Amino acid sequence: MAARQLGVAIDAEPMIRRFAFPIALGALLALGGLVAVIVLRPAGAPSQAVVAHQIAADLRCPDCQGLSVADSSSASATEIRRQIDAQLSAGRSADQVKQSFVDRYGEWILLSPAAPIAWLLPIGVLLAAIVILALWIGRARRPERSAAVPAVSEMDRARARGEAEALDA
Amino acid sequence: MRALRWLLVPIVVVPVVLLLLHGFSRDPAAIPSALIGKPMPSFSLVTLDGRTVTAAELRGRPLVLNFWASWCPSCVDEHAALLDAAQRYGMSVRIVGVLYQDTPDGARSFEARYGEPSWPTLLDPDGSLAIDFGVSGPPESYVIDANGIVRYKQFGPLTQQVIADQVGRMLGSATAGRGD
Repeated sequence: MAARQLGVAIDAEPMIRRFAFPIALGALLALGGLVAVIVLRPAGAPSQAVVAHQIAADLRCPDCQGLSVADSSSASATEIRRQIDAQLSAGRSADQVKQSFVDRYGEWILLSPAAPIAWLLPIGVLLAAIVILALWIGRARRPERSAAVPAVSEMDRARARGEAEALDA
Repeated sequence: MRALRWLLVPIVVVPVVLLLLHGFSRDPAAIPSALIGKPMPSFSLVTLDGRTVTAAELRGRPLVLNFWASWCPSCVDEHAALLDAAQRYGMSVRIVGVLYQDTPDGARSFEARYGEPSWPTLLDPDGSLAIDFGVSGPPESYVIDANGIVRYKQFGPLTQQVIADQVGRMLGSATAGRGD
């Protein structure tokens, strides 16, 4: 602050501020990208038991609708798990098995919504909020920087020098 | 220029509010049935009396397929409505009950207490028919037309009015809707 009043430009502080946000955004995006890769990366071929469990974990128990079929001990869940095993043994794919339950129960039998919009909308809103916040912060800071450093005139310099010498005397 | 940025507020708020309004206006309990318009699942099951009934032999007349249990409180009122319907619609509509997660003894006690039905009750011990129909819990009923196509699903107990309305639809009767 003192350096600014004497008209000497030190760029360190505003420079950090200028780069902090892009660096933070980059780090956030990198983290998000890493999470997406880990989640979406195809693993090796899992066993039928694992596939059956994954399907059961994706289906809602019709009797106790807050639980997944994998977690519920109700009679319906038991029968659904048996049907999942039977269908997988008969050679159907995981998607076909899940679809067979959607065909009978409707979309609500799936615990996670199938429509991508259910994921895209909240993520989109979050990204929009980050961008808007960044723009707002950026604009709020800019007038402060341009008004911060008034031009120091020669007269002021001379007066300051005179006062400093008077103090030394 | 600065005022324009405030335009962002309605641009964001209006679609979000509309979306929420749309969502809140839907009744989460009104789960549509995935089977409407599709053929009834095929089955071959034994009744409480020991007879075997198949889906195929139930065609030819509109059918009310009623999933119920003796431990289900609203099934009591529904039973009265079904007894009334059996008497009222007689031979023009078929009624078939399916026992849901219950025992034959439980079913027989219920019927002895609340009225012996003139229609058969199918036993579904492993619950596979309930799953084929997408039943989430008793009482749930399906109205199936004479060709075996599922036309309506009732979540919760049937009432005289609902039965009258649905039977009217199935039979195309002009007297439908008057639940007297």
